[in-house]
Amino acid sequence: MASRVLAQCVRTLARSSARVSGGNLAVRAVTAPVSASHRSFSVISNAERSRVLEQSRVSIVSVWCRQYGDLPPLTLETIRDRVMYVLKLYDKVNPEKLQTTSHFMKDLGLDSLDQVEIIMAMEDEFGFEIPDADGEKLMSPADVVQYIADKKDVYE
Amino acid sequence: MASSSRTQVIALYRMLIKESSKFPSYNFRNYALRRIKDGFMENKHVDNPKSMDQLLTRARESLALIKRQVSVGQMYSSQRTIVEGLRAR
Repeated sequence: MASRVLAQCVRTLARSSARVSGGNLAVRAVTAPVSASHRSFSVISNAERSRVLEQSRVSIVSVWCRQYGDLPPLTLETIRDRVMYVLKLYDKVNPEKLQTTSHFMKDLGLDSLDQVEIIMAMEDEFGFEIPDADGEKLMSPADVVQYIADKKDVYE
Repeated sequence: MASSSRTQVIALYRMLIKESSKFPSYNFRNYALRRIKDGFMENKHVDNPKSMDQLLTRARESLALIKRQVSVGQMYSSQRTIVEGLRAR
């Protein structure tokens, strides 16, 4: 691993050193090429070398960074979009009249059995259990979004 | 155990829907879900406590029946039908 990093650094440095000290190499053409490259390392300032090393290190690290399988992280926006999407799919809900603040019983004209079905659909969508006592109290999409954000530790 | 009948009805509704969603057979599952919804909807306006008790006992018996049939069905499940499509469950 480290040898690959060093090899890449050497290649980039050799290229940049060929540009910087082209004249020097021509003068020292008699000396062995290995010693010439060593000389040119010292010629290049430390700052430039560390910068080049950093850049190559950063790009390499981002490629080697592990990406474990998991769902994309939840944000309030995505939770709200998903909740509204599930509600629009429910056939007893009029999608035009649906707002984030619309009350299930007063604005949308649903009854408690429909509310139970909606909460079960939310359980299926987000993949976790909502207990009965909590589910009874959720009476609008905004409540549902707030509850899910509390349970899943999503905050802004 | 003095839970009001309203909470009992809602709890039974939830349990019935949850259990009948576990049916492996498409026909049983859809019939059960439809029958549960229709049964609860038509008896929504019943006030008489005696008939409510009767209906609740019927619902509890159906819940036990559904649970038994779900386990039997899972023991002897067959291939999924074409109409079921891509179900995550």
